[in-house]
Amino acid sequence: MGRRKSKRKPPPKVKNIQKMAVTFNCPFCNHENSCEVKLDRQRNTGYISCGVCLEDFSTNINYLSEAIDVYSDWIDACESANN
Amino acid sequence: MMYGQDEEVGYEGEDDTDDLTTDLWQEACWIVISAYFDEKGLVRQQLDSFDEFIQMSVQRIVEDTPQIELVAEAQHKAGVVESTPQYLLKFEQIYLSKPTHWEKDGAPSPMMPNEARLRNLTYSAPLYVDITKTVVKPDEDPVETQHQKTFIGKIPIMLRSTYCLLSGLTDRDLTELNECPLDPGGYFIINGSEKVLIAQEKMATNTVYVFRQKDSKYAFKTEIRSCLEHSSRPTSTLWVNMMARGGQGAKKSAIGQRIIAILPYIKQEIPIIVVFRALGFVSDRDILEHIIYDFDDPEMMEMLKPSLDEAFVIQEQNVALNFIGSRGARPGVTKEKRIKYAREILQKEMLPHVGVSDFCETKKAYYLGYMVHRLLLAALGRKEEDDRDHYGNKRLDLAGPLLAFLFRGLFRNLMKEVRMYAQKFIDRGKDFNLELAIKTRIITDGLKYSLATGNWGDQKKAHQARAGVSQVLNRLTFVSTLSHLRRLNSPIGRDGKLARPRQLHNTLWGMICPAETPEGGAVGLVKNLALMSYISVGSQPSPILEFLEEWSMENLEEVAPSSIADATKIFVNGCWVGIHRDPEQLMSTLRKLRREMDIIVSEVSMIRDMRDREIRIYTDAGRICRPLLIVENQKLLIKQSHIKQLKQREYNNYSWQDLVASGVVEYIDPLEEESIMLAMTPNDLHSDEVQYCSTYTHCEIHPAMILGVCASIIPFPDHNQSPRNTYQSAMGKQAMGVYITNFHVRMDTLAHGLMYPQKPLVTTRSMEYLRFRELPAGINSIVAISTYSGYNQEDSVILNQSAIERGYFRSFFFRSYKDSESKKGLDQEEVFEKPTRETVQGMRPAIYDKLDEDGIIAPGVRVSGDDVLIGKTLTLPISDDELEGTQKRFSKRDASVFMRRSETGIIDQVMVTINQEGYKFCKIRVRTVKTPQIGDKFASRHGQKGTCGITYRMEDMPFSCEGICPDIIINPHAIPSRMTIGHLIECLQGKVAANKGEIGDATPFNDAVNVQKISNLLHKYGYQQRGNEVLYNGFTGRKLNAQVFLGPTYYQRLKHMVDDKIHSRARGPLQILNRQPMEGRSRDGGLRFGEMERDCQIAHGAAQFLRERLFEVSDPYRVHVCNLCGLIAIANLRNQTFECRGCKNKTQVSQIRIPYACKLLFQELMSMSIAPRMMVT
Repeated sequence: MGRRKSKRKPPPKVKNIQKMAVTFNCPFCNHENSCEVKLDRQRNTGYISCGVCLEDFSTNINYLSEAIDVYSDWIDACESANN
Repeated sequence: MMYGQDEEVGYEGEDDTDDLTTDLWQEACWIVISAYFDEKGLVRQQLDSFDEFIQMSVQRIVEDTPQIELVAEAQHKAGVVESTPQYLLKFEQIYLSKPTHWEKDGAPSPMMPNEARLRNLTYSAPLYVDITKTVVKPDEDPVETQHQKTFIGKIPIMLRSTYCLLSGLTDRDLTELNECPLDPGGYFIINGSEKVLIAQEKMATNTVYVFRQKDSKYAFKTEIRSCLEHSSRPTSTLWVNMMARGGQGAKKSAIGQRIIAILPYIKQEIPIIVVFRALGFVSDRDILEHIIYDFDDPEMMEMLKPSLDEAFVIQEQNVALNFIGSRGARPGVTKEKRIKYAREILQKEMLPHVGVSDFCETKKAYYLGYMVHRLLLAALGRKEEDDRDHYGNKRLDLAGPLLAFLFRGLFRNLMKEVRMYAQKFIDRGKDFNLELAIKTRIITDGLKYSLATGNWGDQKKAHQARAGVSQVLNRLTFVSTLSHLRRLNSPIGRDGKLARPRQLHNTLWGMICPAETPEGGAVGLVKNLALMSYISVGSQPSPILEFLEEWSMENLEEVAPSSIADATKIFVNGCWVGIHRDPEQLMSTLRKLRREMDIIVSEVSMIRDMRDREIRIYTDAGRICRPLLIVENQKLLIKQSHIKQLKQREYNNYSWQDLVASGVVEYIDPLEEESIMLAMTPNDLHSDEVQYCSTYTHCEIHPAMILGVCASIIPFPDHNQSPRNTYQSAMGKQAMGVYITNFHVRMDTLAHGLMYPQKPLVTTRSMEYLRFRELPAGINSIVAISTYSGYNQEDSVILNQSAIERGYFRSFFFRSYKDSESKKGLDQEEVFEKPTRETVQGMRPAIYDKLDEDGIIAPGVRVSGDDVLIGKTLTLPISDDELEGTQKRFSKRDASVFMRRSETGIIDQVMVTINQEGYKFCKIRVRTVKTPQIGDKFASRHGQKGTCGITYRMEDMPFSCEGICPDIIINPHAIPSRMTIGHLIECLQGKVAANKGEIGDATPFNDAVNVQKISNLLHKYGYQQRGNEVLYNGFTGRKLNAQVFLGPTYYQRLKHMVDDKIHSRARGPLQILNRQPMEGRSRDGGLRFGEMERDCQIAHGAAQFLRERLFEVSDPYRVHVCNLCGLIAIANLRNQTFECRGCKNKTQVSQIRIPYACKLLFQELMSMSIAPRMMVT
């Protein structure tokens, strides 16, 4: 017999570690999740480009770097270019 | 008097004659214990905790709330620049009045607890607060107005707490107020029902735990749940973990076992070294100094190497902060913001207990370093992992902290409402009325809701809140009440398969009863306090911190990292505050201060961990402690002089508190207990044989104090197999007795009472404090352990009918019914009156004649099933659709209260009063006398329960040469497999006691009483020494073949009686929805033929029988279906016409027989566009 599920169900636990984003909003065309990051660990360079407006940027990365760091560098570069 | 005391203290130490010898201690210990209970009673934890809430927490919460600042929202009208005044509201001093009741007309009067119980009121006191309102108008001086003692809500008051009207009253005064002088209080009265707050167990916060992980990403986890005390912030958890060898992320495992941190609000693991760099400790050396205090430790250095290598790429504080910030903040924010975000996380969210203000980085780095250090110690196998179930790692949330949690939330809501209300007025450019802005119902109803339902938290989020925190106080028997007031709950899911949290842990010794826990799902999760446990209420750590500063503790801010290795770390409430070079001396000073109650209060615990070179001091609330005697130089510090003064305590006011103050006893918590040497008896201190230990620091007061309320009732529990004590602890709560002395003025919904209760012939010393002599629950019965006629097989017992006729185990039963008048809307009115069949609709076929003219039955009337107790009618609303002109027959509908169908009795008492809403309110108590009969349940005090198999008149019972015949005959088979030797010793001791004319002692862990001694005594009275007797058969007069063990044993009558259970039904009421028989005895329901029974019949292939059970005797029904489409057709049975509209078919219709539930299902399916077709051909 299909028993009705108990109503009192604890809410799903928020995980302490969440997945980091790998696609980002483009600072130029403002498209959502259009920028993808490529990490070239051999050459210690990270490359990010927007799939929509084809803007791109590359920066030095290190052992601990991840997609978010490349994107952050890009944002900072934009910021400094604006000022 | 004080002079005399000083004089005696002066003697101390020089004069051995003042020492307590082992023999003297035998009696002296009970004087000490009596002094403890005289002062504390049995529910001190509840009262202390509630007093702390009222006296400290409420004021603190009100004060800590930031003042309300209000500015009018600019309205941008008419192009004028508006000048907006600013309003400031500050809540200051609070005042709590005594419990007061406002009648409907507004007249206040002091509310007495029993009045609250009877009239279904809430025993609560109004709370007032001083509010300062400041209006700052531009270009004007601020105007300050004081609103003194503004009413903000009512707080339920715990009975017998300091703010209760009953506190400090004499027994005589209490009796005059219709209160029982023996009632311990410690509960609330909410809407007339008594509510207990069950202590909730939780893990201690601000403590570092290291756990070894199996099959996980991590090899070791270090966890700290950090929480600022007295703040509304949720705890923030920080992990410092060591990665498992190999495992995930092959690329990163190349460098070895890294250590990472999981910070709150940061989405990814952060390499631990990066966290240090972010805190401003950049160089490797700086960091290592904070983790490894001793650089000559190559092993530990090696363990950190992978982490250092990994973080090599981040060498600046800002880079580290950026690294952390970009993993927490929303992607796409500027570097500046990321760094700021990271800084704030580190300052406010990471380890808040260390500090949330600026410049805490050093302390946090040390703390983080300490966590890594602990992790490394465990990883290197130098220290074992921490124990989750150690009771030192647990804290108990009692009434105080629980109510403080509620009050904090409600007060915040109140502030929000005030702000919203005031803002509306201010925006219109008007001033607001403060009294109207304060919605007093928020606090009043909020507290009442949680206490009434047990859902701890906001009513709107009821499903998220903890359930069962507040429970209805059990009033079955007095011990069940006491035990309920000392109960603990661990909020772990009952379905959890993990056995460890349920098991008896060594650290529970003396704190929590080892026997008393429920059987089944909650076993080991629900616990009960041991008799002498004390739960700390919490005190400020500041005096201790000041003292430590003075006593050459080196503050962590100023200390050189290199000096840590050789010094002792000092932790206060889990926070590392400094180091000290001479821990020995510091500890002895601290201990001295605590024993003198100077600077340090006696509930503070101080642990010196010599191996780890740490001193831990705890002042927080919710630690279980227990008092122990202090031993110095193998001698008890408590002397004969103390005992002498205690003996005189009725005259000289010398009390337990003075013992604590004179430093001869102290409270020890489970953590501190690990650092002391504890002797079981003073005998161990100076035994002439081989000494086990020569460095005792403490001694038990008496080992019998490890037991809880229910287990203390058991005589000789140390001679029983342990589960039997657990069974009795559960059963003692179902025994009938005198549950409270004011039962005749109470209107409990259910109450049982024994008519001729007796105090037990064989008692434990602890029973004195439980008032078991004054409020007993049982009768000393002559018990024979024998077979006789076969009517006591399988745990049944034979009772003596003549004894029953003389009143043996006769009991009364009260049930109260209640109802009230009310007005719903204008025309719907509920009134007490005698309904008449002429005007009242829906009257049941019952006897309404027993009602008086006021609609209420009179006391003394005999009533039985379905009689009316309270006549009540409901005016029918005037409906428009009734035909004009036709005289309406009924103007009212019956809404009377009827007697329970299966019960009979006599109206004992009728109470008519006015309730909170001002309506007429009535409670009626019905009394029934219940004499023992076949099927009723009885039990001894050793988990030996049984039902009555037969009753024999006295002449048919076996008898001894003295003419003694037993009241109960139990079967000898009940003994060997259950190993309840205590039962037998009780009987033997009872026999001696009866002959001696004294109460027999059955206190556990007492070497002075043993079977041989009792036997010898018995022999002196001319009995067979082991208690056996020659009996004669009552039917034949012949000697029984064997001698029978016979003697007095205390028996209990349990509340389960056949007459309350007997039930059978042939036909009867059906449920409306599915036309199946009703469920339950009270509704005259059927007995369920369930799934498993169904399975059996299927296995047997008994199809016809199944059809009968599931269909013919349940919900048979017939429907007509169309032969063409198989759907239900329209049938008019009166003129035998059938039709299927869809098929235009009037001839081909078949009648089928299906369960009504089946028909219902098909119709429900059709309602959702599914066509179940019953094809008949």
